[in-house]
Amino acid sequence: MEKLKSLNLKSHLLTAISYMLPIVCGGGFLVAIGMALGGTNMYADGLVQGQFTFWDALATMGGAALGLLPLIIAVGIAFSIAGKPGIAPGFVVGLSAISISAGFIGGILGGYIAGYLALLIINKLKLPAWAKGLMPTVIVPLISSFIAGLVMIYVFGVPIAAFTNWLTDVLLGLGTSSKLLLGLVIGSLCIVDFGGPINKTVYAFTLTLLASGIREPVTALQLVNTATPIGFGLAYFIAKVMRKNIYEREQVENLKSAVPMGVLNIVEGVIPIVMSDLVRALIASAVGGACGGAVTMILGADSTVPFGGFLMLPTMTRPWTGLLAIIVNVLVTGCLYAVIAKNKDINVAIDEAEEEEPEIEDIQIF
Amino acid sequence: MKIVGVCACTVGIAHTYIAQEKLEKAAKNAGCEAKFETQGSIGKENALTAEEIDAADIVILAIDIKIADTERFKGKKTIQVSTDVAIKSPNKLIEKAIQVVEAAK
Repeated sequence: MEKLKSLNLKSHLLTAISYMLPIVCGGGFLVAIGMALGGTNMYADGLVQGQFTFWDALATMGGAALGLLPLIIAVGIAFSIAGKPGIAPGFVVGLSAISISAGFIGGILGGYIAGYLALLIINKLKLPAWAKGLMPTVIVPLISSFIAGLVMIYVFGVPIAAFTNWLTDVLLGLGTSSKLLLGLVIGSLCIVDFGGPINKTVYAFTLTLLASGIREPVTALQLVNTATPIGFGLAYFIAKVMRKNIYEREQVENLKSAVPMGVLNIVEGVIPIVMSDLVRALIASAVGGACGGAVTMILGADSTVPFGGFLMLPTMTRPWTGLLAIIVNVLVTGCLYAVIAKNKDINVAIDEAEEEEPEIEDIQIF
Repeated sequence: MKIVGVCACTVGIAHTYIAQEKLEKAAKNAGCEAKFETQGSIGKENALTAEEIDAADIVILAIDIKIADTERFKGKKTIQVSTDVAIKSPNKLIEKAIQVVEAAK
């Protein structure tokens, strides 16, 4: 277990996701704009001179970027593990994952294999001095790409492709009650730690589904992240009507930036507000999130872009479904928090001394 | 005491900057001189110079992801945490950093 922890698997995945997000956003918006205005994604067939419209071009550009997600995640992970030498095997293994239909999960696994292989070769393979120059030019890229690619194609590719297909089929075939359940689970889990490890795990899972063309779960997750800060803003006004003071002065100031951030899909602005009344705020967020997630899944709000808050709405087949999910989520979180929150004195300064003692194992010292 | 550091989170638009603000405030409260570089999705901001790193007693990295240019801190006393720890317990973290520096003297 100790050894596993020292490998820092999670941080490599997060690094890759941080490289991937701008590509997903850029590509996703291009596809959404192109398709909304009548374009088709012709990436598979290729654009033929003179036989495509401007909107086709947009949709194809974006589609090309989104189709490469397994590659990007693989390169990102391998780079995070091995640095520059990880890029070549990451590319090969990512493309192998795409060609054998192992998709996003294949890309993630392949990235780890490629990265550690490159690292292993660099650290363990001792060569005579005259061959040192061959290391970066031939040995590392060739051997690591060769092994990682073959392992992807002959060992992991087929079972992962089968699993991805199975998962896709199951999710596509879900009845209303199962969709409701999935929405409840995603909606509540993704908000329960405000961008922490549970949220990131759920996020990786929903991105996997997005890469297989199932867009509702990631939409649910991001709509919940969008709605929660707005919900806390609404709670302020509801509490006012109830003649209750649920925020301190500094928190009201925080809200003024947290709500607009929420509109653009950034949930983290509410952290200082949540911290002051953690349990109650979490209950309000999780219950609201569960409702918002359930509405998203049942109505089938399906954003092509997995980020952007209200900007996601125009990319949905039916934008009103997403809007409704946000409204439900905001109302539930807002009303619930206004009711259960503690009554506070608006003038109390936040007690800076009250801090959690950080876990020793969370701190690394070199 | 002089502290330098880097903050970087996954999405690179929020946690990164909250951590920076909290740590700078906490360092100031503890009477330390501090500068934190952010490596958000926009790239490096408030970048550290070689002189600043050279003069620092300790480096604090509040990062969830692999960051650029870690070679700069080679040989320096370094504390690494997730951005979560920096945001939740900035004062305790600075306290810890001071202890580490004192212990090394």
